[in-house]
Formats: sequence, structure tokens, C-alpha cells
Amino acid sequence: MKCGASLAVALAMAAAGGAGPDEARAEPPPVAAPNAAVPHEPAPFVPLAGDAVQRLRSGNADQIASALDDVRVSGRGGASAVPCIVELLQTGLPLPLTIAAIEALGDTESSASAEVLSWYVRHRDVDVRRAAVGAIAKTRAPNASRVLRAALSDADPAVRGIAASSLGDLKAFDAETDLFAALDRGVSEAAKPIGALCTPAECDRLAAKLGRIPFEVVSSGLSNVLLRPPSEIDDAFKIKLVDRLRDMGTAEVHGFLKDLQSKWPARFSQRVKQAIDAAVAETAASPGTPSPEGSP
Amino acid sequence: VTRRRAALTATLIATGCGGGAVRLPLFSTNWQDDRGASIGRVWTNVSGVAAPAQADVAVGVGRGGGLIGVALDGTGRTWSFEHPLDARPVVAANVVVGSGGGEAFAIDASDGHLLWKRSAPGLRLVGAGDDGATTVATFAPTGAGGSTLLAVRHDGHLLQQIQADKALGAPAALAGLAFVPWAGEYVSVVDLATGEETARVTLREQTSRAWTQAGALWFAGLGLIRFDERIRDASSGGASTVNLPPTGVPGNPRWTTDMAPLPVAADAQDSVRLYARPAAGEGAAIEGGRFYATYFRLAMGFDVPGGNLQWVMTHEATFLGGGAARGGLVLCDDKGAVLQLDERTGAAAVTADFGRPLEACIVRVEAIAPSAAANAAPLVQQIQKAVTTPDAQLVEVQKMLLPYLTKAEDESVTRTLIELAESVGSPELQSAARDALAKRRSGAQDMLDALAQHYDYLKDTVRLPPVGPLADALAAMNDKSAAPLLGAQLLDPQDSPDDVRRAAAALVSLAGREEATALRRFFGMYRATADDDDIASAVVSVAKALLALQDHQGMAEVKAAVDSGLTASAVRDQLATLDHP
Repeated sequence: MKCGASLAVALAMAAAGGAGPDEARAEPPPVAAPNAAVPHEPAPFVPLAGDAVQRLRSGNADQIASALDDVRVSGRGGASAVPCIVELLQTGLPLPLTIAAIEALGDTESSASAEVLSWYVRHRDVDVRRAAVGAIAKTRAPNASRVLRAALSDADPAVRGIAASSLGDLKAFDAETDLFAALDRGVSEAAKPIGALCTPAECDRLAAKLGRIPFEVVSSGLSNVLLRPPSEIDDAFKIKLVDRLRDMGTAEVHGFLKDLQSKWPARFSQRVKQAIDAAVAETAASPGTPSPEGSP
Repeated sequence: VTRRRAALTATLIATGCGGGAVRLPLFSTNWQDDRGASIGRVWTNVSGVAAPAQADVAVGVGRGGGLIGVALDGTGRTWSFEHPLDARPVVAANVVVGSGGGEAFAIDASDGHLLWKRSAPGLRLVGAGDDGATTVATFAPTGAGGSTLLAVRHDGHLLQQIQADKALGAPAALAGLAFVPWAGEYVSVVDLATGEETARVTLREQTSRAWTQAGALWFAGLGLIRFDERIRDASSGGASTVNLPPTGVPGNPRWTTDMAPLPVAADAQDSVRLYARPAAGEGAAIEGGRFYATYFRLAMGFDVPGGNLQWVMTHEATFLGGGAARGGLVLCDDKGAVLQLDERTGAAAVTADFGRPLEACIVRVEAIAPSAAANAAPLVQQIQKAVTTPDAQLVEVQKMLLPYLTKAEDESVTRTLIELAESVGSPELQSAARDALAKRRSGAQDMLDALAQHYDYLKDTVRLPPVGPLADALAAMNDKSAAPLLGAQLLDPQDSPDDVRRAAAALVSLAGREEATALRRFFGMYRATADDDDIASAVVSVAKALLALQDHQGMAEVKAAVDSGLTASAVRDQLATLDHP
């Protein structure tokens, strides 16, 4: 859809709602409460102001900025503006507007923006790249995983970190190899998605990094492994992992297991829970573990 | 100037007393140039005298002390001698002279046995000569000006002790005469029997050293002057003289020393210096038409009179000292190895070893001639090895060697320049290599291969190709196969703004329709975000490329950008000057 066509769509939408552009801006419908979304149904969104597309096409920086703000507020409701924003990014915007446009596209979650966002993942300005990596993940476009995997090779640590985390959010199972490579190259954010996506063999490979890279990095991934449903990671594997942690017998392991103990879902395996409880008790006296209150 | 009779002097040195000085015009500047008359008489008297026999020896100062001698005549004979040192020892003819511990001493260079030793408190050795029977040595008093000259027979008998208020250079001895450089331009001839100055010559070359070699007596400072029948014309610049041409070797290396004691341990001036050997025969010339330079781990051969590099040898240890021989160069390094290098190719062979690390090394060569070792690499390969050796100490000389390398059209030179331009060791060398690479007109395939590389953190590819110089070179070569690679580099955020500017400029002439997409993408991404002059210039070049390609979409975007208030002003102003169809 072209930007001009999208303008027509916006105007048509405004007409169908019986309100002109100004009215639409003056009285936006109430925003749905957070976490109120019904599963499998998209959350309600704020309809995009009727003149937003016109403002995007104005060539005026202030007008474009205000329209991008509106698109961000509308989220997926701003989809009609996507072609215009894409066109603006294709033909170029000043830096602040570039970042605003990228973030707006991310908020629309429109896969139609994935192509132009992939351009900006390679922009010279690091803030633009960070914004683009975050935005493309939100689009869940078919090329998003490929673009994010490439972004793991970016020179900027923050871009790499966002890319790694986003691959987890996308459930990009094909990214495990790249995520392990990133983890080995010091991208600590890769541990969590690895834990969220790994097969038992890959989870084992993550656990094998205990003692070789900082515990808080590995444990962020192992936490995800242990909290995955039994359908993905079976109880025997989890118990083996808890035992492995227990055998390390350090204060930080004790803290980690205690935290896990507190988060353990009631519907999950009680066998694993018992193993965690036992490990917490056995590591309580680990060197460096804070004494319980009242103890000498 | 104070001269003391030998017997009295010996007593005074032994008792440590002073006084009894007699003023003589020795080493006085109150002297009328005799237009070569006196030195001419000396030449007439000694011209038939053979120069004393010379040792072929390397003498090392071991790390931790002690002198070690290694014969260079192929016998492998070694000796050692323990004595405190306060200045670098000197090898004169067949004698090693030193000072330290309040004593001056001389040992036989062939076997290390002590010839003589005298009390010499507070005196540090400057230089020495020997005529086969008598050693003449000059010393600088610690913490004071002036000099002391000692003449001591090999049996230990003191012939002369002369104290001068001038700094004296390294003397030579011949036929009972001492030839003593001083004040930078004079050489006084002192009769060792009487202590009288019998002649003097004014040299029009800075002079600090006299010595015998190749059957003749020589004076040297910046140039080399032969003591021959033309010496009487020296004051009018008519002496037999040869100068070493400039080489460009950094650090201003010299082939003689100042009129001051050298430190016991070698320093940078010992590792960065020149070596040349006067030729036998008539007049003044350089043996074999070759002279040499060392620069820490590198040794180089140059021609005379051109001063052009003939070879360069990269060694694993730092050179400390050496001597030019007939047919080559003898060097010793700080690990204790002695190498002989062929004058034509620089091919080197280790011929002796001190067996321990050295603090300093003194080499004296006369009869030996390094044999022409086979299998020396071609000069280009020698330079490639030298310039790619990662050593911060070598950066300056590596920069000096680069122009010699780039003279060759060999494609491997292009590879070397790319390697240097990608290296992160020395920004200066990298910059020099980039400049040279931009001017290359051969090695296109190596350039294309390099241009295909991009930064990749995961693959640990963090060395960036020299995109700008490659773009310049490939554009000059009109290599259109570079266009897609340049298009990809244009969009690589890790490339420097300068590289991007030059890639874009190259695409003006190299881009085909296949590059239109990349060009439009770059134009769109940066026409409004160009934040420096290089990127702005790149955007304008890309616009030119789109116009040249008659790419309708691109042309429309360029035209729109001229009229858009969102376009960066630096870009818009330049776009407005383009010819829009």
C-alpha cells in the first residue's frame, strides 16, 4: 500500500466513525487497561487521528513528529500510517524523526515495515540501530530473525544485547547457534533466550558453561530452562540441573535456588520442587551465604 | 695544555699527586694554518710505513659484566677478561683497551691476556689507537672538561701522559706518532717519543675519529678522509674524501662517535647506526660500493653514491654493534650471536656466538670476508618481511621502507599494503600504507577480495578493509567489478566516514544499474541524517551516480531532496548545484 492510498484509508476510517480528524484527536476512546487483553484476541487500541497521515505527508518536521507521536499512542491502531512512515524512512528523515519513525513502526507491530527497518539496523548512528533492532523484533516479520541474527555481529554491545533478547522474544529457535556464538563472545544477554529456546542437549551445553562464564549470566538462562513447561523440558533434566547447581555449593547458587523456589509454579512438578527445596537447604551453609535472621 | 715527562708522569699517577705542569702549544687554537706543510712532511715520512696488523674479533660486554672475545677468523676461539668498566671498550689494531675501577688497561685481542694496566682514577676511555708496539688512548675526566692522552708501550712503559683542556677524539697510532682529532676539524700529530706536536692539519669535514684500516690511516666524522699525499691540501678542501649519501633511515644514524666516552651498555644510538669500510687502493672510496645501516632488528645495505636500498634483513634480535668487512657486514646482537651478511644480498649466517646475552658489542674486522650466502630472498620479499614485522620500535623505518616496496608492480605488494592498511598496530604505518594503496594500479583481485570483507563481531572479523584507498585505486583502474562491493561497503556502518566518502566517489564512475538499489537506499538513509562533511559528500556523490545512471526513481528522489526542508543543509546546497536532467 502506498502512502497516498493510506491517506485515503485514513480518511475513509475517519468518515466511517462519523468524526472528523479534529474530533478524533480531541476525544480518543479510552485506552484498554494493561494486562486486560483476552488471550488470542488483539488488545484494543486507540484509533489513529484522522489527519495523522496528512501530517506525515506534510514535509514539515513538527507535523511529522506530532503524527508519529499519535501513531505510537495508537500502537497497532496506527497500521494505516505504516506505508507513509515506511516511505518517509525510505526517502529520509532527520535523525530525531528517524528514531521516532522507527519506534512508531515498532509500535504498530506491522510486518510491512520490516524491510525498511532492516535498512536502519545498518545505519551509521548507533541510536538508530538500537531503535531499529528493537522495532523489527516487534513486527514479528518473517525476516526478523535473520536480521536480528545479523545484528548479533554489530559493533555496538547494546545492539547485540537487544538483538539477543529479541530473538528470545521471537522464539527464534533457528538462532540457537548464533546465540551460543554470541554468548561465547561475551554477549551476556544471549543466555536468557538460549534458556528459553534450547533443546535438552543445548540446555546441557548452557549448563556446561557454569564456572566458565559469570554465574549471573549462565543462571539467567538456566532460570528460563527450569521454568519452562514440562512439555518442553522434562522433570528428570530439571532435577539433574538442580543437582548440578547444588553441587557447586556457593552462596550465589543458594540465592538463585531460593529465588527459583519462590517462583516455582504450583502446577509444575512437585518432584522438581522437592529437589529445589532440598538443594536450598543443603546450600544454606555455603560460604558467603547470609545468616538467617537471629542467627549468631 | 700540560705535558709531563713520562717518568714524572708515571710517578704522579702512582702517587696521585699533581703539579709540575709545563705549558706547551699542544692542542692550542692559537695556531696559524701552515697550508699543509707540516702534515705533508709527516706524510712523506710515514707513507712507506705499513699499517699495523688488525685483529678480526668481536668483543662483547656480557650482561652482568665481563669481557668476552670471539675470534672471527673461523677458529671459534674465545677468551674472557674480568675488569670493572666505566666506558665502552675499544678495539685498536690487535689490542682491546678499556677503563674502569680507576684503571686503564689493554689486553691482547687475540687471546685476552693483559698487556698493561695503569692507575687512571676518574678517567673514562674515549678512543684508542695502536701501532703494534704502543697504545695511544684518550680519556675524558669524570665531571670535568678537557682530556687526557696516554701513550703506553705494550710492555706497560708509559711514554706520554698529556692533559689537554680540549676534548680529544679517538686517536690513531702509526710509526710512533699519534694522530689526534680535536675541536671537530683538527688532527694534531704528536710524536710519542717527545710528546711534541709535530704537525697539524685542518680538515674541512667534521672529524672525531682517526684509525688505521685497509692498509691506510683514515680520519672520519661526517665524511671519510684518507691520509695520503693529498692530505696537505686538506685545509683547502682538497683531501681525498668520500661521504656517505643520505639514506632516509630515521633517527639520523651516524657511522662515527662523538668525542666522548660511550656508555658501557649499548643504547639506541648503537642499534641505529651506519657502517662503512674504506676501500684499499688509491684515494678515498667505500669498499664494494656498499654501506650499511642497522635499525634495531633490521640491517640494510645501500649503494654508493646513490644511497639506494639494496637489501634489508629482518632479524629476531636487536643489533648492538658491528663492523663493515670486505664483501659484507659483521653484526652482533643482544642475544650474543655474531652474523655475517653478504654485501650484495644481505643473506646472513650466524658465524659465532658469545654464548650469553650482551650489553654491548665491539667488532673489528680486517681480513675476513663474509662469503656470498645463497638463497637470499628478492628485495621485494625482504621489504615485505620487514614492513609486516609487528614491532613498535620499527614503525619509523617501516615507513621509510614503504616507498621502496611500492616501486614494485608485483601484485604481492598490493597484498602487503592491504595487510598493513588493515593492521591496528601503528596508525602512522597504517596511514602510509593507505596512501600507497590508493596509488596502486596492480593487484586488482587482492583489492576485490579485501573489499568483500566486512566487520563481523561474532566471527571476530574486526579488522576493517581499507575501503577508501581500495575505492580510489579501483576507480582509477576503472574496474567495474568493484561496484557491487563498493555498494555494500557504502551501507556498512563500521566504515569510517572517509572510507564511505571515497567509496561513493568511486561509484560515480563505476556503478551500473545493479547498484541503483543500494545507491537509493544510501541516499534515503543519509540525505537528512548526514552529520559530517564526509557523509554529506558521500550523499552528493551517490546523487551524481543516480543521475549518471538515469535511474528515474533515484532522480526523482534527488530532485525531491533539493526541494525538501528535511534534507541536511550541507547536502541540499550541493545537490542544488548538480545538473538535474
